[in-house]
Amino acid sequence: MTIPPHTPKTLTLVFASLWILLLGSALIGFLNLGHYNIVVSVAIAAVQAFFITGFFMKALYERKIILVVVAGGIIWFLIMETLTLADYMSRGWLPFPGK
Amino acid sequence: MTEPTLSGTALLELREHFENPEQQRETASIGMWVFLITEVMMFGALFTGFTVYRLSNPAAFDEGSKEMTIVLGAVNTALLILSSFTMSLGTYFCSIGKTRLLSYFLILTMVIGAVFIGIKFTEYYLHWQDHKVPGFWFEYHGADARAVQMFYVFYFILTGLHVVHMTIGIGILLVMLWRNLLGSFSATYHTPVDLAGVYWSFVDIIWIFLFAIFYIPGLHLR
Amino acid sequence: MLIDTVAKPTVKNYLNVKQGILSWLLTTDHKRIGLLYTFSITVLFFLGGFFALMMRLELLSPRNWLVSNETYNKLFTMHGIIMVWFFLIPSIPNTLGNFLVPMMIGAKDLAFPKINLASWYVFMIAACVTIYALFRGGVDTGWTFYTPFSSQFSTTYVIAAAIGIFISGFSSIMTGLNFIATIHRMRAPGLTWMRMPIFLWSTYATSVILVLATPVLAITLLMVAVERIFQVGIFDPALGGDPVLFQHMFWFYSHPAVYIMILPAFAVVSEIIPNFARKPLFGYKAVAFSSVAIAVIGFLVWGHHMFVAGTSVYSAMAFSILSYFVAVPSAIKVFNWTATIYKGSVSWETPMLYAIGFIGLFTIGGMTGLFLAALGFDVHVTDTYFVIAHFHYIMVGGSVMAFLGGFHYWWPKISGKMYPEGLGKIAALTVFLGFNLTFFPQFVLGYLGMPRRYAAYPEEFQMLHIISTAGATILGVGYILPLCYLIWSWKYGKPAGPNPWRAVGLEWTTSSPPPPHNFKETPVVYWRAYDFEAWKDRLGLVEREVEDD
Repeated sequence: MTIPPHTPKTLTLVFASLWILLLGSALIGFLNLGHYNIVVSVAIAAVQAFFITGFFMKALYERKIILVVVAGGIIWFLIMETLTLADYMSRGWLPFPGK
Repeated sequence: MTEPTLSGTALLELREHFENPEQQRETASIGMWVFLITEVMMFGALFTGFTVYRLSNPAAFDEGSKEMTIVLGAVNTALLILSSFTMSLGTYFCSIGKTRLLSYFLILTMVIGAVFIGIKFTEYYLHWQDHKVPGFWFEYHGADARAVQMFYVFYFILTGLHVVHMTIGIGILLVMLWRNLLGSFSATYHTPVDLAGVYWSFVDIIWIFLFAIFYIPGLHLR
Repeated sequence: MLIDTVAKPTVKNYLNVKQGILSWLLTTDHKRIGLLYTFSITVLFFLGGFFALMMRLELLSPRNWLVSNETYNKLFTMHGIIMVWFFLIPSIPNTLGNFLVPMMIGAKDLAFPKINLASWYVFMIAACVTIYALFRGGVDTGWTFYTPFSSQFSTTYVIAAAIGIFISGFSSIMTGLNFIATIHRMRAPGLTWMRMPIFLWSTYATSVILVLATPVLAITLLMVAVERIFQVGIFDPALGGDPVLFQHMFWFYSHPAVYIMILPAFAVVSEIIPNFARKPLFGYKAVAFSSVAIAVIGFLVWGHHMFVAGTSVYSAMAFSILSYFVAVPSAIKVFNWTATIYKGSVSWETPMLYAIGFIGLFTIGGMTGLFLAALGFDVHVTDTYFVIAHFHYIMVGGSVMAFLGGFHYWWPKISGKMYPEGLGKIAALTVFLGFNLTFFPQFVLGYLGMPRRYAAYPEEFQMLHIISTAGATILGVGYILPLCYLIWSWKYGKPAGPNPWRAVGLEWTTSSPPPPHNFKETPVVYWRAYDFEAWKDRLGLVEREVEDD
C-alpha cells in the first residue's frame, strides 16, 4: 500500500499557516490602508484558499484535469468580474453626461 | 487497469456501468469538482455584484462593515479552518485503513460545523437587535443609509447561502458517518468520504472570502 | 452454438425489457430518460407555439382585435420563457444527447444515471411551477425579466416564473455535469479525443457553457425574487441599486445560452452531412476546436445586448469587437460543412434536407448577427423586428431545424422503425418554406422601424405582418406533420435494422432499438470519426452480424 502524500505532518503545517494568515489578516485590518484594506484581506484570503484547495482538498495530488477544472472556475469568475467592471470603471470618461 | 490490491468494498461498490473501480473514482471526482465550479460561478455572481456596489460606495460599505462583531467572525473563521483540518485528517486515516478514526473525525467536524452555525445565528440575532436586517427592520442614521443597507443585503444573501451550504455539508457528513459505521469504507474504497471532504473544504473557502470582504474592511474605523 | 439458435429468446431491447409506467418513471437508462425528455419538451413546444400563434393572429390587424395589450404582453413573455428554458435549452442535449452520448462513446450509460433521472424530475417540477404562474395569470415582463419593472412594478406572477426558471437551472447543471464526466472518463478503449464524433465535441462544449453560465442566471433570478419579496433594493435605483447590473448578470448567462441552443444543432448537422455526402467531415480538427472556441468566446460578448442600456462607450466598443470574433469559428463550421458536401455523392433524404436548410438559415441568422454587433447599426434596430428575425433565424431556423433533422436521422435507432420518407421530405420543405415566409418579412419590418413587443402598429406595416402570419400557419403545419407520422411509424413503420443509413459511428453497430446496456461487449475503436474507408467492409458486415443473433 502506498502512503498518501498528504501526511498528518503536512496537513498540520498547512493548518498552522492558515491560522497565522488569519491572524495576520485581522491585525493588518486595524491599520488604515484606505482602499487597500479590502485588497489586502482578499489577497490573504486567496492565499488561504490556495492552501486549502491544494492540500485539504488534495487538488495538487489529483490528475491534471482537476487542475484544469479549478483554473477554469477561477478564470471564468475573473471574466465575469473584469468585463462587468470594464463597463462601470470606464463610465464618465467621455465629456458627455451619461457616457 | 485493475490493480491486484483492489478487493473487498472497492469491488462491492462498483456500479454496473463502470468498467473498474479506478474509472468510477475518477468519474466521481470530476463530477464533484465540476459541481464546485458551478458553486464558484454562483457565489462569483454575488461577489461581482458586491464589487460593483462597493466601488461606487466605498465609504458606506466600510461603515457597514464597522458594525460587524469581529471577534465572532474571526472565531468562526478559525473554527471552519479547524474543521477543514479535522476533515482532511479523517480522510487521511480512512485512506490508511483506520476507519474507526474516520468516524471520530467526522463527528468532530460536524460538531465544529454546528458550533459555527450557532455562532452565525448569534450574530444574526445581534443584527436584529441593532435593527440591521433589510426588508424587516432596518435603521441607519447616517449620510448613506441606502448604500449601507445594500451592504447588509449582500451580507445576508451571501452568509445565508453559506449557512445553507454548511447545513447541507453536515447532512452529507452524517450520511458518510452512517455508511462508515456500516463498514462501507476501507483503505481501497473511500471516494465518497474524500469528495465529502472536498465539498466541506470548499464551503470553508467561501467563508474565508466572506470574512475578508465583510469583516476586515471596517476594522480600521473602530 | 446449436443450443443458442434453438432456444432463441425474443430480442430484448431498452423498450421491451421492462413494462409498465413505473419502469419508465424509475428508469435510470439514459435512452428512456431521453424519451421522457422528448415527451415533455414536445408538449411544452406546442404550448409555446400556441402563444406564438396567438400573437401572429393578433398582428393581422393594426389595432387590437383579438387580445388586449396586457394579454399580448403576457403572450410574448410566456412564449419566450417556455421556448427558451423549456424547449430550446433542453431540446437537443437532453433528448438526442441523452440518447446518443453514451452510445457514441461506447459506454453502458451516462456517468451518473440517477442524477440524470433526477434532472428530468427537476425539469418537470420547474415546468409545473412555470405553468402554475401561467394559469394564475401569466407574467408580463418579457422573457428577460428586466429590472426594475420585474422587481418593483409588474403586478403579475414574476416570482413564480423566476422560481420555475431557477429550478430548471439545476436540471441544466445536472445534465451538463453528467455529460462532462461521461465524455472525460467513460470513453471506449481506443476512442481518443481526436477520434470522437463532432457530436460529442459540440455536446461537450455545450455542457461546459451549461455548467459555467447557469449558476449565474439562477442567482440573478433569486436576487430579483428577494428584491420583490423583501422590498430591498438590489437592482432598484430608488433604493440605491443599479438595473444595468441585472442586465450584466442576466446576459452573462443568456448570451452563452444562445450557444447552449445552437452548439447542439452544430453537433447534429456535423453528423448528418458527412453521412449523406458519404465523405469524412472536411477539416475535422477545425470543426472540433471551433466548438470549444465558440464556447469560450461566447462568454466575452454579452455586452452587445446592452449597447443602448447606458453602458460606457468604451466597453460597448470592446464588446462589439469581441462579438465579431464569434463569427470566425461559426464561419469555419459553415465552410467545412459545405466543403464536405462538395464532390460528395449526396443523397437527399429528409435529415439531409433539414441539414441543408439549417446551413442556409443559420448563415442568414449569423450574418445579421454581425449587423447587430456593429454599434451604429445596432442602435438603429435595437428592440425592433430585425432583432426578432435575427434570433429566430438562429433559434428556429437553426436549432429547431437541426432538432427535427436529428430526430429523423436517429429515429430508426430510437424506435427501431423507419418514418415515411415521402411525408418526411414534404414536411421538411414545408418547414423551410413556412419559416422563411414567417421571418424574412420581419427583417424588413424591423429595418423600417417596427418595434418589438407591440400589439398594435401603424397601418403601413400590415401587409408584411399578414405575410408573416400566413408563413406561421404553414410553419405550424410543418411541425404537426412530423409529430403525426413519427407517432404513426412508432407502431406501423417498417423495421429499420441496425444501420439503415449505412452510417459510421458506434451507435450504428448495435441493434435498433438498442439493448438495455447498449452493447453486447465494450467496443474497441481503431478508426477516426467518419472514416468510411475503414468501415467499408464493416458496413456490409454489421447488418449480417446482427441478423445472425
